Amino acid sequence: MIEQQAQESPAAAGRPSPGALPHGRREWIDFVFRFQSLFGLLAVFIAAIAFSPVRNGELLFLTTENLANVVRSVSEIGIIAVGMTFVILVAGIDLSVGAVVGLAASGVAVLMMERDMGVAPAVAIVLAIGLAFGAVQGLISTRLGIQSFIVTLAGLQVARGLARIWSDGQGVPLAYGDGPDLAPEAFSVLNERLLGGLLPVPALIFLTVGAIAIFVLRRTTFARHVYAIGGNERAARLSGVPVARVKVAVFAIAGMLAALAGIIHAGQLNQGSPNDGAGYELDAIAAVVIGGTSLMGGRGTVAGTLAGALLLGILNNVLALNNVDANVQLLIKGLVIVAAAALLSLRGRDD
Amino acid sequence: MRVKTRAPLAVALAVITGLVAACGGDEGAATESSAQAKACGPDGEYVIGMSQANNAEPYRERMNDDIRTAAEAVPQFQVEFADAAQDNAKQVSDVENFLTQQIDLLIISPNEAAPLTAVVKKAYDQKIPVIVLDRKVEGDAYTTFIGADNLEIGKQAGQYVAEELLPDGGSVVEIKGLPGSTPAQERSDGFKEGIAGNPAVKISATGVGDWLRDKGQQQAEAILQAEDDVDVVYSHNDPMAEGAYLAADAAGRLDGLEIIGIDALPIPAGGIKAVEEGRLSATFTYPTGGKEAVEAAKKLLIDCAELPKEQILETQRITEENAADVYSELNRR
Repeated sequence: MIEQQAQESPAAAGRPSPGALPHGRREWIDFVFRFQSLFGLLAVFIAAIAFSPVRNGELLFLTTENLANVVRSVSEIGIIAVGMTFVILVAGIDLSVGAVVGLAASGVAVLMMERDMGVAPAVAIVLAIGLAFGAVQGLISTRLGIQSFIVTLAGLQVARGLARIWSDGQGVPLAYGDGPDLAPEAFSVLNERLLGGLLPVPALIFLTVGAIAIFVLRRTTFARHVYAIGGNERAARLSGVPVARVKVAVFAIAGMLAALAGIIHAGQLNQGSPNDGAGYELDAIAAVVIGGTSLMGGRGTVAGTLAGALLLGILNNVLALNNVDANVQLLIKGLVIVAAAALLSLRGRDD
Repeated sequence: MRVKTRAPLAVALAVITGLVAACGGDEGAATESSAQAKACGPDGEYVIGMSQANNAEPYRERMNDDIRTAAEAVPQFQVEFADAAQDNAKQVSDVENFLTQQIDLLIISPNEAAPLTAVVKKAYDQKIPVIVLDRKVEGDAYTTFIGADNLEIGKQAGQYVAEELLPDGGSVVEIKGLPGSTPAQERSDGFKEGIAGNPAVKISATGVGDWLRDKGQQQAEAILQAEDDVDVVYSHNDPMAEGAYLAADAAGRLDGLEIIGIDALPIPAGGIKAVEEGRLSATFTYPTGGKEAVEAAKKLLIDCAELPKEQILETQRITEENAADVYSELNRR
């Protein structure tokens, strides 16, 4: 009985038999709820087309340039949100990711500009720092039994402090070239758009990270453990899941992906500043929640998070193209997040 | 299980790809036409995009108001405002979205120089006239820069401290603006030049207030705790100076302390009033350039004229002698 609980994906409840389309109103409602993030994305996409300004007979929203801009603009938050999904699935939270972005951005800039490092070693070191930072937070949380909210809140301050010490409190602008005080040209690839402007490099990285994460969270034993811990931690522990190790691993993943986002941030803005990424943790959590992942843990998907991040990006874009007042934009975004959370809780009641 | 979870994803992706394929093909034509020089003349209607760094700063709100007021007098102009809220990445997106809307002219006050240089260059390369206001970008991929000379202002502030406030020497605390923005760098460098003539004047501590009043207050609090001997607080702008005033007041250190700022906005909450009321010893006018930006836009779009690469605006020192007069003069306009 406990084994069944631990290994069965909680999303199985209320699901119609495999291979058949839902029939009956109740099953259709379940169907929509289960893929609420994808339907939400589709709805916002259609709304964006409907509200898109028209110039010279073409819909501005649908131009390749604009769509590429949208995906580019959500890439960093999207990558962070993928890591955050893992953490939230085990009923944890990581508030330090924004500060880790600042640490990584300023760190990679300092290593390339002031320590004359090549792209590969600088990136490797910074990713390792993100991984280690996350792992340490995971260890403190599991070994000392402190809630991840508190540990990562403290981690936020520590990461900011480290970032400011490392970069002397200043932003480090990146100048490319061959000399000792210049960063390698290869790093500027983060500013490029491939396939004739269709695919910005940060978007490519985001989609790749997303694809890998979807695979990991569907097919591996690790994934089963993650969902089990989120569903019922005690039961998972009793049935032999290495809870502490898995928890440390998810925080390490979140830290590493935040560092990756920071590296991309520095590349895109040609500057690494210790104050970068402020507030990014909240945007990432919003994407995860809109994507249908429950903050209680045990339920959610990376695909949902990707949809959630894209939804927020499209929303931002359509509001900006229509020059909606900045304050009204904030209101609308807040309402969207609440609506997504409300849908989630409604679904929870059905289960 | 696989069929169930993949079906909606596949449907969504198919719809999206289909729409992009159907409508994305027109994009080539759009870039073609925008790569040619934008038409100009008094008969056209022009959309101007104004990308602001941070609406929450009173100085920038004033800049927006100045632009709005000046543009209302020009029937051919429609100005759209975007606020980056001190976020470089957001400001890049703001400019990208303006480019998507095919604006006719871009006015930008960049949050920081390095991060915004590439996207401004993108606009400039698309033959869209770019007016850079108050803060600079790197390089020269813009049409014209309008702003006061921050090096000069810093120097005047330094000279005021070295010659009038502390002729016999003393210690100065510097509260800086957002480090990556050019005014912060220039006001700092200029100040050092200004006090160089009096070796007895030393900068004993610096803090970074990011142009914001509350951060200025925090930094000043911490510095006043750490430093026993502070004679002058040199703040890169008035809001941070007001924050320093509050910090000094709370710490009981106002006696003998002189605080100077920059901006001198002619509004009730601005620096000129603060000097009149005795909170600040001096401030320097830093014109927003909003009116001048719309003038420049008129020359570019309606008169089809060319403009010099930079237009430097004048500054003026405000002390209790001239505060009241300058306030009424600036508000009469």
